[in-house]
Amino acid sequence: MPALVNISDVDFSYGDQPVLQGVRLTVDEGVTLGVIGPNGGGKTTLLKLLLGLLRPQRGHLDIAGVSPVQASRRGDLIGYMPQQFGIKPNFPLSVREVARLGLAGKTGLFRSYKRDDLTFVDQLLERVGLKDFADKPAGKLSGGQLQRLLIARALSAKPKLLLLDEPTTGIDRGGQERFIEFLMDLKRDFGLTLVFVSHDLRAVSAISDRIACLNLTLHYHDVPQHLPADLVYRMFACDLEAMGINNTAVPLTIAGRKATDLVSDVARI
Amino acid sequence: MTFDPLLYPLLAALAMAVACAVLSVLIVPQRWTFIGEGIGHSGMGGAGTAWIIGLIFPTINLERLAPLMIVAFCLATAVGIGFFTRRQRVNSDAAIGIFLVASLAWGLLANNIYFHFRSSSPVGYNALLWGNSASITPRFARASVATAGLVLFTLFAFKKEILSYCLDETMAEVSGVPTRLIHYLLMILMAVTVLIGMPIVGSILVTAMLILPGTTASLLSDRLRGCTIWSMSIATVATLAGVLLNAWKSFLPVGPSIVLMLFVIFVCVYVFGRARA
Repeated sequence: MPALVNISDVDFSYGDQPVLQGVRLTVDEGVTLGVIGPNGGGKTTLLKLLLGLLRPQRGHLDIAGVSPVQASRRGDLIGYMPQQFGIKPNFPLSVREVARLGLAGKTGLFRSYKRDDLTFVDQLLERVGLKDFADKPAGKLSGGQLQRLLIARALSAKPKLLLLDEPTTGIDRGGQERFIEFLMDLKRDFGLTLVFVSHDLRAVSAISDRIACLNLTLHYHDVPQHLPADLVYRMFACDLEAMGINNTAVPLTIAGRKATDLVSDVARI
Repeated sequence: MTFDPLLYPLLAALAMAVACAVLSVLIVPQRWTFIGEGIGHSGMGGAGTAWIIGLIFPTINLERLAPLMIVAFCLATAVGIGFFTRRQRVNSDAAIGIFLVASLAWGLLANNIYFHFRSSSPVGYNALLWGNSASITPRFARASVATAGLVLFTLFAFKKEILSYCLDETMAEVSGVPTRLIHYLLMILMAVTVLIGMPIVGSILVTAMLILPGTTASLLSDRLRGCTIWSMSIATVATLAGVLLNAWKSFLPVGPSIVLMLFVIFVCVYVFGRARA
């Protein structure tokens, strides 16, 4: 399959603090890429570069042959679901109106939404289980409902690429599994390419065809099954322990092995 | 053909009220209400500059120069606040405060300098601060109606982009909305509505027209259409009441009457809303 996303030799720094160095990565059409790495490792920066919100100091990125800025301006190439959505609770918009706003860029200035697009938004709301809430104020949705609304909004312009920033943060374990299943269904139904950034290793290993481990540079870019245990430990030990993963009742599996085993194996080395 | 002297102030006040009310629905959730305060007070800086120019060049017609300078300062301040608040380079409260105090200080200083050399305050000083509906000319009333119409047309034409921007700027940008254009467009629209409100309500109180209608409307409806209709209705009722009170008893100024009426409506809605809940 052709590559939808090309990232070549990208450097980025905030002031004199380097965040990404020499990152080279491709994402083929239809693939799900999970980008993992420790906090401050450059995951969200990479996502912002792909969204055209930041420009690299060196290197090149393109999405379907155009720059990220051009891809965003087109409105129908990239869908984006942020980690935290600052929906103002008193902003007087209904669920349907918020979902339709995903069409604003694609539709263009001085034009009304097309009838087909509006029908598609209604179908999306049904698909994400918010049909009965379509006329309710968006500010009154629960966290899970809001997340589904954001997915609907991101998909309303029928994008090829869906970028998700920490999509499972703040969801309980059962909810995470349902969400991953739901995301996979959407991917299949809409023929999406997914890139998602997370430090939730459970979600990453469950969903990704490819994994990119990022911590300033790209340490690994391949299938999850071959992810080296020592790399996982080096990148995540602190995070895992801080998250209490060592004491978890349900084992977290990474690359076919329990995370706790990985941590203790590497600790013995 | 003669018209009632009440007609022109009423037309200008209603035009200002409707434009402010619609903008208010958008900028209250955005927490931009005090940007209007910053823009309104920058009128003092513009007028102050005109007064000083008038002192240096006594032949200049201050009645013409002052409004031009006020317009220039208000638009420049709107763009300046817009520049600093974009992407939060400077906290928006701080940006508003910086422009507000600088303009106010310059206006007061210019007034004192003018007073020192001419032994009187410049013409229009009090009207600028508190408004003066008696000074509303037919030309200004027509300009106000046209400007308010333009503001409403612009809001309608850019409705989906403005709503997208107001809901979440990043999401809007990555879905292809020209957020920079919309950001500055909203600043300019606020400046324009403040400018047409200033001669009626005054630069000190004009912000109330951008705060109270939208805030009260948000207590009455959680739908965009409902909020907009409530906001326009509240602003219209308060404006009619203010203008009619002034016509009945001329010592009751229009601006403060409108603002107090808006405040009373807000308190009533809040109290009855709480009681009903």
